[in-house]
Amino acid sequence: MSRQTQGAVLLILGATVLSISAFSTTYVNYVKPGFRPLLVGAGAVLAVLGLLSVVAGLVDRPGAHQRGPRVAWLLAVPVFAIVLIAPPALGAFAARHGDGPPALVRTGGYSALTGGEVMELTLGEFIGRAYARSGPSLAGRKVRLIGFAVPAEDGKSWYLTRMRIRCCAADALALEVAVQGAAAPAEDSWVAVTGTWVPWRDGVPDEYVVPALAATAVTAVERPAEPYE
Amino acid sequence: MSQPSMADRPVPDGGRSPESGLQRALAGFRMPWAFIVLVALLVAGRFLLAPHLTHPALQTWATVFVAVCVQALPFLVLGVALSAAITAFVPASFWTRALPRRTYAAVPVAGMAGAVLPGCECASVPVASGLMARGVAPPAALAFLLASPAINPVVLVATAVAFPDDPAMVVARFAASLAVAVLAGWIWARFGRTAWLPTPRRTAGTGQSKAGAFVDAMRHDLLHAGGFLVVGALAAATLNVLIPRDWLTTVAGVPVVSVLVLAFLAVLLSICSEADAFVAASFTAFSPTAKLAFLVVGPMVDLKLIALQAGTFGRAFAWRFAPLTLVLAIGVSFVAGWALL
Repeated sequence: MSRQTQGAVLLILGATVLSISAFSTTYVNYVKPGFRPLLVGAGAVLAVLGLLSVVAGLVDRPGAHQRGPRVAWLLAVPVFAIVLIAPPALGAFAARHGDGPPALVRTGGYSALTGGEVMELTLGEFIGRAYARSGPSLAGRKVRLIGFAVPAEDGKSWYLTRMRIRCCAADALALEVAVQGAAAPAEDSWVAVTGTWVPWRDGVPDEYVVPALAATAVTAVERPAEPYE
Repeated sequence: MSQPSMADRPVPDGGRSPESGLQRALAGFRMPWAFIVLVALLVAGRFLLAPHLTHPALQTWATVFVAVCVQALPFLVLGVALSAAITAFVPASFWTRALPRRTYAAVPVAGMAGAVLPGCECASVPVASGLMARGVAPPAALAFLLASPAINPVVLVATAVAFPDDPAMVVARFAASLAVAVLAGWIWARFGRTAWLPTPRRTAGTGQSKAGAFVDAMRHDLLHAGGFLVVGALAAATLNVLIPRDWLTTVAGVPVVSVLVLAFLAVLLSICSEADAFVAASFTAFSPTAKLAFLVVGPMVDLKLIALQAGTFGRAFAWRFAPLTLVLAIGVSFVAGWALL
């Protein structure tokens, strides 16, 4: 691998990282939004380093090979994955495959549900409030949740789902709410569901059970700018 | 891929002689064929292949693979830059003053020093390699390598947030990780052989400026470590998509097996140490000791790290060091879980 070739690999990798972070927001499919400055910085370093090496390599004397490691060719693999597959944010396939019950980060200490007639909540907060043993209850409150649809295997019921990531998509967990009283939208389509929580029959369960929402309205929405919670 | 260690670091060819001038430069003009071919392949693939690559399983795999790469890349660049800066700008005498001269005493000091590098495991491998190149005793550099991704403040805060009702988990993680790092350093100091871990060679080329050496070292390390990072990311993404999580719950209640299962899962999933606490917290059916093992093993031994270590220090090193660390990490997790959780 000549110096020029090494530079070419770095330049293409850097340009790809910049194109998904500086020049578009594709990166939110893979990492948290706060990652952007780090990605732009890393992409810029890679691109500049690569460009310098390509330019310097233009006038390398023939035979002036600086041996580079052959494993470096693999750095082109993520570039091909991004350009050819254009991996979207994790959806129904990942949710079905998921880790099982999410860890409830908080189950108490919630403030009262203020705001208008309909409260907009994240799925994480909705589930956390459903499991809260004290504090203001969700019961009877109209809420609006946004997520994508994952039809259940029985073909009738479906889950409103949002993936939660902490660092990158490799650590994603599915947050699910079972929707009752509305037909299942197409798999992976983004919807806003308005409805009320279906209270537990015998108090807060000890084992994790997916909370349910009795829907009054299901409307199609655009995918949010940040697909994960 | 056959060369281990840093032996294939570029050795500058002594600089072009000043008389060579423009003529020779032009005579030696070389088209950037690699660049042209790569771009042509990407453009052609985008039109010919992309419309067919839409299966959900493939897309999910690609998302996880790209996510691991994209998330690790800034830390790798940071680590490589730090490593290159250590070799180019920090005099070797600094380390002999900063660390105790006796290796056995230097190991715990270096392990504690790991607390100040706020990054995940991808940054610590090149930095440890840079430390060794600057004359830091390998066992001390290895203790730093193991401790730094697990006990730095960012990771400890993330752990505290993930286990809000269980502050003992943070203490146990810190204590167990540091203990494993120090024990591994001492064991390597006692039984390790120089042949297994060739000291990384850092030649500042004759007549090469410090800045030139910095850029050359950075390019080489990025290509090398980056290539191995991709190997690890490919393996981790594949297993992430293939392993059905349902069978995990069936072993959650079995005392010793559940700890081993989560420890091996940490190796396979290769989750960044800044995020692994949240994943560990989601294994609600497992015992605290099993979760602790996941947190202790993950930042020290995982597929992407083994690939990075094999690339940076050589395979002879990696296939001895990774099992040693894994056994120590599991053992210490049992002890710490029993004592603290």
